[in-house]
Amino acid sequence: MTDSIVKTTSDFAGNAAYVVVALLVIMALYSILTQKNLIKICIGIAVLGSSVNFFLVLLGYRQGGIPIYYLGGAEKAMVLPTPQCLTLTAIVIALATTALMLSLVILIHKHYGTMNVDEIRRLRG
Amino acid sequence: MWNQLDTGFGHWNVFVWLCFFFIVSGFVLWIRSLGRMDYKRSTDQDEIYWSGNEVPDDGAKISVPASSSYWGFRVAMEPLYALLNRFHSGNASDYAGYFVVTVALIGLLVLF
Amino acid sequence: MNWHDHLPAFLVMIPLLGAFLTPFVASWGKLVRNVFFVLFMALTLVVGISLCTATFDGRVLVYVMGGESFSLTLPSGMSYPIRILFEIDGFGSLLILCISIAAFAGALFSINYMDRFSGWKRFMSLYFLMTAGALGMSATGDLFNFFVFVEISSIASFGLIAFWRDKPESLEASFKYMLISQVAAMLLLLAIGSLYGKYNALNMGALASMLRAGTLERISLALIVSVLAFKCGAFPMHTWMPDAYAETPSGVTCLLVTVSQASFYGLIRVCYSIFPALTQGGTVGWILIVLGCMSMFFGVLMAVVQHEIKRLMGYHSISQVGYMLLALGVGLLALGNRNDIAAYGLTAMKGGLFHVMNYSFYKGLLFLCAGALYYATGTRDLDKMGGLARNMPWTAGMFVIAAAAISGLPPFNGFVSKWMIYESSFVVHPLLPALAMITSVLTLASFVKVFQAAFLGPAKEKFVAVREVPYGMLAGMAILTVMTLLLTLFPGWFMGNLFENAARALLDHQGYIRAVMGGI
Repeated sequence: MTDSIVKTTSDFAGNAAYVVVALLVIMALYSILTQKNLIKICIGIAVLGSSVNFFLVLLGYRQGGIPIYYLGGAEKAMVLPTPQCLTLTAIVIALATTALMLSLVILIHKHYGTMNVDEIRRLRG
Repeated sequence: MWNQLDTGFGHWNVFVWLCFFFIVSGFVLWIRSLGRMDYKRSTDQDEIYWSGNEVPDDGAKISVPASSSYWGFRVAMEPLYALLNRFHSGNASDYAGYFVVTVALIGLLVLF
Repeated sequence: MNWHDHLPAFLVMIPLLGAFLTPFVASWGKLVRNVFFVLFMALTLVVGISLCTATFDGRVLVYVMGGESFSLTLPSGMSYPIRILFEIDGFGSLLILCISIAAFAGALFSINYMDRFSGWKRFMSLYFLMTAGALGMSATGDLFNFFVFVEISSIASFGLIAFWRDKPESLEASFKYMLISQVAAMLLLLAIGSLYGKYNALNMGALASMLRAGTLERISLALIVSVLAFKCGAFPMHTWMPDAYAETPSGVTCLLVTVSQASFYGLIRVCYSIFPALTQGGTVGWILIVLGCMSMFFGVLMAVVQHEIKRLMGYHSISQVGYMLLALGVGLLALGNRNDIAAYGLTAMKGGLFHVMNYSFYKGLLFLCAGALYYATGTRDLDKMGGLARNMPWTAGMFVIAAAAISGLPPFNGFVSKWMIYESSFVVHPLLPALAMITSVLTLASFVKVFQAAFLGPAKEKFVAVREVPYGMLAGMAILTVMTLLLTLFPGWFMGNLFENAARALLDHQGYIRAVMGGI
């Protein structure tokens, strides 16, 4: 239970998942920073949220660990279910923000008549 | 000592400051009372002086709007303000970019 | 069992209960709704004040959620706490006091201010949620729980910024804030997750006791510092602040100011209590100082040329946050060196914490005054106002007090805290107080402009019928005025009981660990 990430992921297969997380984060940031369409920016935010959730789920995996409830016998040590709880909470939060963000986009489109982020610039200076 | 504050560099006491303030105000009022009181009322000596111009009846016409105050300061700092206004472009992707760049910079500084 | 022991739970429970009761209560008529709103905010305030007095003697309150006993941090056989727990020391209680007072004042103000508008159910619910989030942020002792509270208060604030959803500017401000805020929140979660992956602990005290310097810790620290600096409005990431502060209903802006203070709390807590091993080197201290100086200077430069009253004040918020970042950054430079702490570090920290409280009150008051002007005249543009001191003498008087305090005119409280920051930052580098003083002068200049443009000058024809705002709004403003005046008249008492305590609590990071981990 006290193993750190570094120990559990010494092999390539273990590290690959973290590389995927990093790729997803970079892709999400790329779409947020370069895309002009508000919906595409929202997709970027959603991908960023999912990649962080993926990272949290990965943290729950410990080599040789047994997931709680299913396989654990009385004498075997189980992995703490904390990352799963964190992920559930984070998913709920991401859902709420995505819904709110999309509703804001709808209202913005109603008022400004555009989805282009360059044209939504009444507040500046 | 509810109103005394010692900082290690000095002391601050709001009531001492207020006492001093009232003493100085007394002096100021005394000096003011030494001024001449013998000007002639309801003559030109009583008129408002407005840079030699005629004072309009409607005061609202001569008030300085807020965006005109500190005009000189703004003109003198024009290049800086041009830069700052360009920075506050109002573009959400620019703002997200500033954030990501700052995170990266702070990350580099903390790492090395 | 003593009810007094359960105060930390009540602190978050009362506003949360209020938030979810609102949809039922709000349909029972205007009077019931208003009484309910004020009553719940007053209860929160009472809990906040009693929590604050409980930590006057330097105690650290710990409350375990869902355990066999509220004080049992380490259940049998566990070497670190697994439950969510609240940990409130002098610093946390200082923030709790600021937030609960500002929330109460904002609620009183909103009753009259929002009376013309529909959507009260949503407004009250979100207001309660935002209060709960901000209070939770400054009470929690668990990093993930901190993230959750950050998100609760942020999502509530997105809703409240866009509350007037028929105005395109509100939607735009809310969207811009939300976009960056979501990126920031995810990076914060990433940092918290990596710390969990390495140490298997989310509790701040437990993490602090196990933490060693390493690459992963450095990356996490950098992410947390920059995200929370963004949330409290440090310079290159401040752009959401004037937009959001200007477009929010004023009673909410007053609370929004303290919510950003709660993020500041998180930033300082992380730097001082969790990562002292990494922040002692000076890099993080200098990062905070540089961020603080840039926020101070550029914030006030932008404020001087604004002519929309709340946007101007929004830019001032950035420069005021700069003072606190500067002060606590200077304190961080001295951390770990007993002589430096005694020479200038403690003064800087006390000054910074004093400024935290001053800022929440006078800035809240300024935003409420701006709201009163908007309520009475229907415009936020200073060019269109004028001569309002005759019509609104009380608002004008309270505005003068707040403006003098924020500009650091003696004898007001703003002067005292700024003076302590000048003195202590001078020891580090003479340029720092020079920059801070220039900022202070420009602050005074822009508030002279606001006062001249809005309150002085000849009366304008269209404002002849303008009257003083209703009593509820005046009461909200009066609370903050009284707090500002109390801080002005009795700085010694507040220093001895609140700020000294908070600064010592920050310096004593072993005490913070001990409260959770016991004797380890």
